[in-house]
Amino acid sequence: MAQISLPKNSEVNKGKYFKDKTGSKNIRKVNVYRWDPSTEENPRIDTYEVDMDNCPSKVLDILNKIKNEIDPTLAYRRSCAHGVCGSCAMNMGGKNGLACTKPHAEIDGDIDIYPLPHLRVKRDLIGDLDGLYKQYQSIEPWLKNNSSKDTTEIFQSKEDRAKLDGAYECIMCACCSTSCPSYWWNGDKYLGPAVLLQAYRWIVDSRDDERKARLKKVADELKLYRCHTILNCTSACPKGLNPAKAIAEIKKMLATANV
Amino acid sequence: MEDKKPLSPHIQIYRWHISSLVSISHRITGIINIIAITFICVWSGWLILGEANYTLINFFLNSIFGKFVVLGVVWSFSFQVLSEIRHLIMDMGYGFELQTTRITGLLVIFGSFLLTVAIYLIGRNFF
Repeated sequence: MAQISLPKNSEVNKGKYFKDKTGSKNIRKVNVYRWDPSTEENPRIDTYEVDMDNCPSKVLDILNKIKNEIDPTLAYRRSCAHGVCGSCAMNMGGKNGLACTKPHAEIDGDIDIYPLPHLRVKRDLIGDLDGLYKQYQSIEPWLKNNSSKDTTEIFQSKEDRAKLDGAYECIMCACCSTSCPSYWWNGDKYLGPAVLLQAYRWIVDSRDDERKARLKKVADELKLYRCHTILNCTSACPKGLNPAKAIAEIKKMLATANV
Repeated sequence: MEDKKPLSPHIQIYRWHISSLVSISHRITGIINIIAITFICVWSGWLILGEANYTLINFFLNSIFGKFVVLGVVWSFSFQVLSEIRHLIMDMGYGFELQTTRITGLLVIFGSFLLTVAIYLIGRNFF
């Protein structure tokens, strides 16, 4: 049974309030989830008043500003700042996305920033994605080709290559999987949208010889069919991909093919 | 060490979308319908047992609470039927584009109320 409420040690308390010191007239309140592993305390929400006159357009810019100018103890992952690496995936304004591509102008009112939902928090905005990576490993995301000649190219027609569009662009930021209520409640067994999109990517690859075995592997009540087309995944994907459709295609293949 | 790590907030903070709202409503109405069908079976079973039962049920269904229950069940059925059609289309692999899911979701929500009114009016011999 799904546990709706948070465990006792995860309940969020009110935290510190950082008043603006620049005297700016263009202030926005930013509420950030904080948790320090070195203390025994519960997580808290710290509120920062941020001068928006001197802040670039993305949510990541706000976080950088807070870290550089207000509170250097804030921890979050970030790397490329161009929506390519997927490090700065988090929950902003109630929706998952990449902080580096999400304009703060799109969020009304105070800006709420949380780590990706339903993950074990390592610190502040950093969630533990080990489970997801293990599941990714379990679908064996590499080309399996039985051809004896290892040295020649494996040809692929333009049509077959086009089948991978919308699947290969995934950067594994986990925005989709952690937006999915099914994955929240059954994340230990259900593979989740991110991993299933990758499973689909290898199933439809014309160069791969293990299509049937791959299909058989995901054909499981819990691994695959926990998708109830809630579609939070598709609306969360910062790359505009459609994991829900990929999962539906896998279900369709299983329904129509003799596996 | 593992237990010390807090769980990040999930349903408490995640914004509702039309598609997630329709999905959870589909489940809730499904449960309501199963209970309703069971009751309808029990009630029709009672009818066989004599007139006294008929008047009792009649009395209940004509009370304000009874009417509320009946209308609620009619809405729940309407919602389930429309949402199931949406699901069937999705099972065939269509309608997964974000804009489409929003439109079909809204159609299901508004359609369920329209259908409820229509069924009510048909029951009242309005047409």
